[in-house]
Amino acid sequence: MAAETFDLSELGTYKYGFSMPERYAYKARKGLSREIVEEISWLKGEPDWMREFRLQALEIFLRKPMPTWGADLSTIDFDDIYYYIKPTDKKSRSWDEVPEEIRRTFELLGIPEAERRFLAGVGAQYESEVVYHNLQEHLRKLGVIFVDTDTAVREYPDLVREYFGTVVPPDDNKFAALNSAVWSGGSFIYVPPGVHVDLPLQAYFRINAQNVGQFERTLIIAEEGAFVHYVEGCLPAGEQVSIGDRWVNIEAVKPGDFVVTETGRKAKVRAVMVRPYRGDLIEIQPVSRYNTFRLTPEHPVLVVRRETVRARRRARGAWLPEVDTAQLLQAQPTYVPAGELREGDFLVFPKVQAEGYRPHFTLELLRLLGYYLAEGSAYIHRTLRQPVVAFSFGEHEIRAIEEVKRLIQKVTGKKPQVVHVRGKHAVTISVYSRELMEFCLEHAGKGAADKRLSEAVMALPPEQTAPLLEAYFAGDGNRWPRGSAELRRIATASETLARQIQELLARQGIYASIRVRKGGSDFIQGRRIHRRDQFILTWTRGRRMGEVRDAGDYFLVPIKAIRRVPYDGFVFNLDVEEPNSYLVRGFAVHNCTAPIYTTDSLHSAVVEIIVKPGARVRYTTIQNWSTNVYNLVTKRSAVYRDGVMEWVDGNLGSKVTMKYPSVYLMEPGARGEILSIAFAGRGQHQDAGGKAIHAAPHTSSRIISKSISKDGGRTSYRGLVRVYPGAEGAKVSVNCDALILDEISRSDTYPYMEIEEDNVTIGHEATVSKISDEQLFYLMSRGISQEEAAAMIVTGFVEPLVKELPMEYAVEMNRLIRLQMSGSVG
Amino acid sequence: MEDALIIQDLHVRVEGKPVLRGVDLTVRKGEIHALMGPNGSGKTTLAYVLMGHPAYSVDQGEVLWKGQNILELPPDERAHLGLFLAFQYPVAVPGVTVANFLRAALNERRKRLNPEDKGIPIPEFRKLLREKLALLGLEDSFAARYVNDGFSGGEKKRLEILQMAVLQPEMAILDETDSGLDIDGVRTVAEGINRIFNPNMGILLITHYQRILNYIKPHFVHVMYNGRVVASGGPDLALELEEKGYEWLREQFVEQPTS
Repeated sequence: MAAETFDLSELGTYKYGFSMPERYAYKARKGLSREIVEEISWLKGEPDWMREFRLQALEIFLRKPMPTWGADLSTIDFDDIYYYIKPTDKKSRSWDEVPEEIRRTFELLGIPEAERRFLAGVGAQYESEVVYHNLQEHLRKLGVIFVDTDTAVREYPDLVREYFGTVVPPDDNKFAALNSAVWSGGSFIYVPPGVHVDLPLQAYFRINAQNVGQFERTLIIAEEGAFVHYVEGCLPAGEQVSIGDRWVNIEAVKPGDFVVTETGRKAKVRAVMVRPYRGDLIEIQPVSRYNTFRLTPEHPVLVVRRETVRARRRARGAWLPEVDTAQLLQAQPTYVPAGELREGDFLVFPKVQAEGYRPHFTLELLRLLGYYLAEGSAYIHRTLRQPVVAFSFGEHEIRAIEEVKRLIQKVTGKKPQVVHVRGKHAVTISVYSRELMEFCLEHAGKGAADKRLSEAVMALPPEQTAPLLEAYFAGDGNRWPRGSAELRRIATASETLARQIQELLARQGIYASIRVRKGGSDFIQGRRIHRRDQFILTWTRGRRMGEVRDAGDYFLVPIKAIRRVPYDGFVFNLDVEEPNSYLVRGFAVHNCTAPIYTTDSLHSAVVEIIVKPGARVRYTTIQNWSTNVYNLVTKRSAVYRDGVMEWVDGNLGSKVTMKYPSVYLMEPGARGEILSIAFAGRGQHQDAGGKAIHAAPHTSSRIISKSISKDGGRTSYRGLVRVYPGAEGAKVSVNCDALILDEISRSDTYPYMEIEEDNVTIGHEATVSKISDEQLFYLMSRGISQEEAAAMIVTGFVEPLVKELPMEYAVEMNRLIRLQMSGSVG
Repeated sequence: MEDALIIQDLHVRVEGKPVLRGVDLTVRKGEIHALMGPNGSGKTTLAYVLMGHPAYSVDQGEVLWKGQNILELPPDERAHLGLFLAFQYPVAVPGVTVANFLRAALNERRKRLNPEDKGIPIPEFRKLLREKLALLGLEDSFAARYVNDGFSGGEKKRLEILQMAVLQPEMAILDETDSGLDIDGVRTVAEGINRIFNPNMGILLITHYQRILNYIKPHFVHVMYNGRVVASGGPDLALELEEKGYEWLREQFVEQPTS
């Protein structure tokens, strides 16, 4: 056995990213052979019967040709796939026993918190093997078994052997054979007779490495009269705060937008996710109260833990140096769930890099712009109809007055007018200049509360923004000596400007804190005036601000306070390209999503479900795989007397999906329902549908399929209904509707009916429709934009199915559809 | 002329065929204008062109509203300027409830006026909708139905007027709102329109028959024939037309063939 143990290959790793360095205990060679299959079985310590099962399946796989129907699978290279990666030798039940690295990945996925909240049990699949599996105590007491399938083989061999491969035998299809040969992980659920599991059981799957196949094997047995709902999918973690260099609300961010990441540079947003959330949010208040932000407890925040950088020195005299600065500056920030943060931990405040188009500004223009930010106004003089830029100073601000006069002369070539209003102790300097007025309005905005710097100014390098900041401060700032250092303060009514100045100062190596002085009514000299909110920036020169440290590309800012605040509403999350992070109120937090790799991955699972008499199983999937994944899954259930099987299957992601959840109705009264939603965008082919096999009298099945294609995507409904001779009184209803959003997209319907019994009721309806101009016109005539109108028609189209989903999935589904729709116009 | 919809020399072709051949018409706020005419005279085409249907190409002419030529604007922007069209044949939008549809329409308008707007609060919207449903004698459950999906002819027309009541346009074009309604239906819908009408609103009421004018009193009546407005007058014109029939028009206005 040539086991390449501890392969430390650095596939897809990055600094503090989500894709952890692949420190796998074992990584098999690429490709598939008898030896690899034997190795997998040996490494898992499987009994002989399972090894035999795998080897037989491998032969079937090698023998069977690729399917020639359905989607194009010709680019799958079976020799370029790792069939098994074992992340750790030991399997653990308690969270603490899970290896640090894997635990971090799971924390990033938000699993422990999710479990605490509403899940009865969580099985999580890290690549091929489930390493963490926990089940609530009361379920265990009821006799419910919910473990990963590998464990089930060892601990419940008789149960597994009795059912494994009985619903989906290896020779069913090429991919079922492949899964049978190399399967790893997946969930095993056993529900004893009469037991109702009310909460949905949930599992998370993700593909972490390149060229890794994921071949999980799920087996669910619901004994007589049992009930269980199994949910498969990934709920994103999120929060509801602002992001990015321009700081927009997270709910306003769209896929394709750019946001600033932990490196201070921009990266593209791949997706925006939302979910309803009820529970505590963690409110983190750093030095700079204004930058306080909130997120869900499991959301990872980039920090240096204080305990890791404590000074070793003992306390000397009265003061105890708590933090070793040298250690702190060298410490590698890591992602820690917000819920585990403590006061004093250091957040990462990246210096946002100046990027983008940089026009040339002269030093004089930049200084003048600084003064304009502080004291300027630009407008068209009403009676003279002349463009004016005016600056107001107190009469004592002689240096500023003289400089502004000089700058105006230099920049415009005109002599400014100076008016000294002695009664008010004020000096106004003004100039008639259209160029200057337009320049000021474009690059610094208008009006005290709406001053803001243009993108071009924000893109300037620090040496050019320094004169602007100096002039701004000279015009509006205050300074107080603090020993050898100096405390500086500047106030503005513009929230945007305050953030921008904070960002520009950061690039100068200065961390400024912002606090808000609330506005409101006030009496000044007997007159009632309304004062706006004031945003007050404070920083020190010549000394550090509290414990804030400049670490080069970012500041380390200690947390002043952490609070838990109850919340009931929606939380959002972004999926950002590498390095998979974004900034919340300036601070780095992590993405939470399935990573996307450039190489195609293969997901080929098998799900077998046995529904005993009177039992009921519902299996819900919302598949949102990366768009490079081949998703070829065999899902099948055998349903016995009066049992009910319900598949709810949503397919939005992946490159190719071929999936036809099936019900085999084996005994009288058995009932099966398949609800399938597919959405195919650019480069995607969703070949989905369902199969209903009536092998007994008085059985009934219902298949409802809704598919949407756009941007050249392709959906196919593929369904098979077979009624065997003697299955009299069978009831069949098939309903498939397709919606095509543009001329380049495609939808096909392949309904197969093999009815060998006369006494049956068959209903079949299929529609293919396009978003009609008449519908769009109708909605738009009511003031709804074309994009919104198209999204409305699509959500309306899937509404009858989405209604069947649990609430949080319905919300997610609608949100995903809207995301798929955004930017497209019918 | 901020307060008037002014149609000037409007020429429109449908699939290459001229349908409107120089329509001139002005509707001011506070006025109700009835536009009558035989089938195929171009009434519905005019309604669609005013609202911005993409299938119609304008060859010539202008439509001025709020100081601009609106012919270049997409339908949603025309709606935001206070224009409204009650459709003769409203289309179904399955899966979208009347309530959600109306709320989306209201919110879009609020958002255009103020990008910061968070949308109408739900309790406020419910109250508004209930009030307007009652105005048209509709049950609350009507709001939970899918837009025009499986609606009877009468229900469709009432939904159009319900939308007008909720959106409160400043210029409404009602395209044969009375067609397909029984006599009670005509009365209910007409009463609804009368209650919605106010001095800050103009109505262009397109109708084939005189009977709705028994309930809605127009200030002006125009007759359209062969793509032009051929006669305008007071309410009496409608009665005259009813009496003499559209044949009378044909005799009067049939174009003399030019050699």
